Amino acid sequence: MKNIIIGQYLPGTSFLYKMDPRSKIIALMILMISTFILKDVTHILIMLGVVLLILKIGGIPIARIARGLKPIMILLLFTFTFQIIFIKTGTLIFDAELTLTVFTLPLMIFIILFWYLTRRYIKFKFLYLLITAFGILTMLALYTPGSVLSSSTLEVYGDGLSGAFFIMVRLIIIVTLSTILTLTTKPTDLNLGLEKILKPLSIIRINAEEIAMIISIALRYIPTLLDEANKIMLAQASRGVDFTEGKLKDKVMQIISLLVPMFIISFKRSDDLANAMEARSFVPGKRRTRLHTLSWHNLDTTVIVFCIFIFISAITVRVMF
Amino acid sequence: MNIIEIKDLSFSYQDEIDALSNVTLSVKKGEWVSILGHNGSGKSTLSKLIIGLLKADSGEIKVDGVILNEESVHDIRRKIGIVFQNPDNQFVGVTVEDDIAFGMENLCFEQSDIIDKIKEYAEKVSMSEYLKKEPHALSGGQKQRVAIAGILAMKTDIIIFDEATSMLDPKGRESIMNYIKEINKAGVTVITITHDMKEAVLSDRIIILKEGRVIACGDTNDILNDKETLNSSNLELLLPLKLQYLLDEANLSNDKVKDILWQLSLNK
Repeated sequence: MKNIIIGQYLPGTSFLYKMDPRSKIIALMILMISTFILKDVTHILIMLGVVLLILKIGGIPIARIARGLKPIMILLLFTFTFQIIFIKTGTLIFDAELTLTVFTLPLMIFIILFWYLTRRYIKFKFLYLLITAFGILTMLALYTPGSVLSSSTLEVYGDGLSGAFFIMVRLIIIVTLSTILTLTTKPTDLNLGLEKILKPLSIIRINAEEIAMIISIALRYIPTLLDEANKIMLAQASRGVDFTEGKLKDKVMQIISLLVPMFIISFKRSDDLANAMEARSFVPGKRRTRLHTLSWHNLDTTVIVFCIFIFISAITVRVMF
Repeated sequence: MNIIEIKDLSFSYQDEIDALSNVTLSVKKGEWVSILGHNGSGKSTLSKLIIGLLKADSGEIKVDGVILNEESVHDIRRKIGIVFQNPDNQFVGVTVEDDIAFGMENLCFEQSDIIDKIKEYAEKVSMSEYLKKEPHALSGGQKQRVAIAGILAMKTDIIIFDEATSMLDPKGRESIMNYIKEINKAGVTVITITHDMKEAVLSDRIIILKEGRVIACGDTNDILNDKETLNSSNLELLLPLKLQYLLDEANLSNDKVKDILWQLSLNK
């Protein structure tokens, strides 16, 4: 528990690391909006090219980005499938009669069961899922003996396919962009940058400094609380609680036995911390000087100008074509 | 000159019996005073009252001639630093340097000044190599040293150590006690709050609290000779002190004691 790293900061020296967190956040927002403005597959592919270029110059390994994309794989698959199934305009590219018969139904259940039981031994889980789904579809399309239970037609249209592809690329771009931000910025710098960007919100009585203070304390206490949780789990385990197995009901009880002491400890801690902060002359909302300040360089201006150029091009492309 | 004067101070937590009742005491500028008491004697409550984290039911606290009230509390906090018991719960910064800077940031020091002072005081508590380290990579003693550096950097006249060593291992405890001694020598008024007589005997003066009342107050030597008060204070006495009392009770002559000790060492 001594080496907890919060966030996914990847040490490096490229231009992305030299940038001010403020400019990085602003650039990210401009590029995201630009991505949403684009409505055409070719344009979005050009955008993807730009993002890949940023990755290349920024010296970020594609493998790290791929890891960042992993959690949204299922989401990508779902949007892709829905787009293909529900958009029925454009040219018909492919259609197939899917029939469910007395033979294929149990066969299908068997395949799904087999997938369910074996998936934990397969290294490429996502690929395995795709192969299984395709296998079932192919079987339903080709193998049709016995009395028919139900049947439907799977039609894939041009617009569906391009729409699905378009949305997928858009999602990938957005996730990649935000991954670049978190990979190249330390959580504390990111926090400081956010604080400065949110500062104008004081007009509507949102105190950015307080929000930043809350985030920074949360960041500081995550490892401490994890350590605490670990200790409590060990203490409970030594009295016979098994955190690894059990039915859902037992699991809930185990989590409660962990949560209750965690809450009590956290309240005690926050009380102590509030005392310590006040004793050191902290007054919420009062002006403070800062140890860390941000400095805006020419590089930041250049990058922002570049992003604005992309933004304007995106609008132009959207209006013209 | 008295830097802290407390008169008839009483305080109770919601409807409970008085945590403190009619406490009157004073602390002279530049001295090292221990407030000694067992658990629940009200000693930590006293420190929170002095710095204005709790509000007294009655009585008066004067720090450097200024009466503590809602208007003066922030000025008084600038004069008093406090190191708390739990090393983890007072570490505000994400890294060591952030934590040392925290108090100075609150007092609106210039950025360049903050950077210089961090270096200076980290050096003073031998934490220079750890400036970029995060708290979970530090030991309890190191965290307490960071807390001390943060308070020293605020240049307070008074530093209160509220059981600051009770959660540390013997080595960490010893180093903290050494820093306290140094700080006091440099002219800072030090108040150590403790239940450990071993720590209290290092100070110039001892104030003993029991059930929210001051039962003894005086120079360390005088207090140590006051057998009856010490026995009634529920404190764990030091072994040499216990031995002294036992010998006193036995009413032996010095020669007899010498004989017995000699015999004991021969038998071994």
